[in-house]
Amino acid sequence: MKWGMVIDLKRCVGCYGCQLSCKAEHGTPRGIFFARVLKQEEGQYPTVSQTFLPVLCNHCEDPPCVEACPTGASFIWEDDGTVDIDHDICVGCRTCMLACPYSNRYFNDNEQAYYGDKGQTPFENARTTQHQEGVVMKCNFCRDRRQAGKEPACVANCPTVARHFGDLDDPTSNVSRLIKERAGFVLHPDKGTKPNVYYLPA
Amino acid sequence: MTSARYDRLINDLKSEYRPQREWAEGRGAFLIYGHFLVGVAAGGWLLSRYYGSFDGLVLSYVLACSGGLAHLVNLARPERVLNMMQRYKTSWVSRGFWGLTFFLIGGVLYLLSRNELGAPLGVESLLSGIGDILAVIGSLTMMGYMGFVYTASKGIPFWNSTLHPVLYIAYAIRGGIAALVLMLALRGHELAGDGGLLELWIGVTAVVIVLWALEIQGAISSGDETAKRSINDLLAGRLAIYFYGGTLVIGLVVPLILTTGTIAPLSANILAVIGLASIIGDFFMKYSSIKAGVYLPVRLPHLHR
Repeated sequence: MKWGMVIDLKRCVGCYGCQLSCKAEHGTPRGIFFARVLKQEEGQYPTVSQTFLPVLCNHCEDPPCVEACPTGASFIWEDDGTVDIDHDICVGCRTCMLACPYSNRYFNDNEQAYYGDKGQTPFENARTTQHQEGVVMKCNFCRDRRQAGKEPACVANCPTVARHFGDLDDPTSNVSRLIKERAGFVLHPDKGTKPNVYYLPA
Repeated sequence: MTSARYDRLINDLKSEYRPQREWAEGRGAFLIYGHFLVGVAAGGWLLSRYYGSFDGLVLSYVLACSGGLAHLVNLARPERVLNMMQRYKTSWVSRGFWGLTFFLIGGVLYLLSRNELGAPLGVESLLSGIGDILAVIGSLTMMGYMGFVYTASKGIPFWNSTLHPVLYIAYAIRGGIAALVLMLALRGHELAGDGGLLELWIGVTAVVIVLWALEIQGAISSGDETAKRSINDLLAGRLAIYFYGGTLVIGLVVPLILTTGTIAPLSANILAVIGLASIIGDFFMKYSSIKAGVYLPVRLPHLHR
């Protein structure tokens, strides 16, 4: 099995629901975004269009981050092909961040309080402090949710159903079908990383 | 994360060309120091061994120790440093760690078998031979691994060049020659001016200039806008002062003029200045080229220029 995601750019309205639900799900500290939404403009006035490009870890089949990691902290789960980080092993050298052509890895060197000297909020106390400092963090396709039989938070909370999640190894899955029928494409195919996050044209 | 750093990160994420700060600022700056020190140490050890300079060997060993410490400071979790031995099959950082380990172990064995220290391990002993081999393997690995680490960084197109390893190896040799010239000149040793060291420095410097020209030409002609942005930062932007002032003027022009002997005869002091200027120039080369790294922007394929 190989988990993959398909993001329909025609349906995305740039509401940032994925970004917020991800932060709520994982309690990620300030400055760390497992999911982001980029705005990209095309054309020149008066013929200008804007495209929203949601990005996250591409869970590549040939991930340069895993190859570059000196400790084995970055690894691929053999059972589902997702790329993950073992925070108990990571030394915080940040090599993987520079190896990733998609800039979807973040370094957590936070003092984990949004309001600084005023200390942690109850939410921070409950959620963000679970994360180790001095390590690199990234999306893991919501492994905990998947193990509980749920979809990743960004998929489940997308109000326009722009995100689809499924098994790319199964030719009958919704993701495989969408990629085939609507000419799904990946970002930076020239980098040879074989991403498992696909986009459908706007 | 302080508010200022958070705001800067958000601005970076919004910008089209996001400068890499991971290996350039704060704790990350120690990686630049580490690569600089380890490069000079590796080149210095090999040349000192060839020229039989005990002082040069000791200096190289001290520099390698300092470089290793700088690498440790760069890590956010230095207490886990031994984990870096795990992935030598794929990771150049891990290979570099092994190289430095070999060098530090082999170097001390080799130094302890030298007559200058009373040869407690014996001059022709097995340990001496093992130390020699380990130190040489370590030196060669240290010279090579840095460039490959940058080449493997697919997120930074300017570094992701096949020339980078060759450039770093050439710079390590040049740094090693300069450190040896500096050390010998300060000790008043005649080898500093004779023995072909200066000629070797000029030859390697010529190679470095050609490699830099190819690197810049390659980045400009690659059609990659991100690599061009890095070159622009280097030659006409935020890093131009370091590149022109440090790498070119201090590192190339000043020592090259001094080697001609037209300004002053090649005394021990002038040789020391040549060595020091060359080393400072090497530092600025690494500083400016590492800081010039810019992340590959994430765009839809049809928006790529």
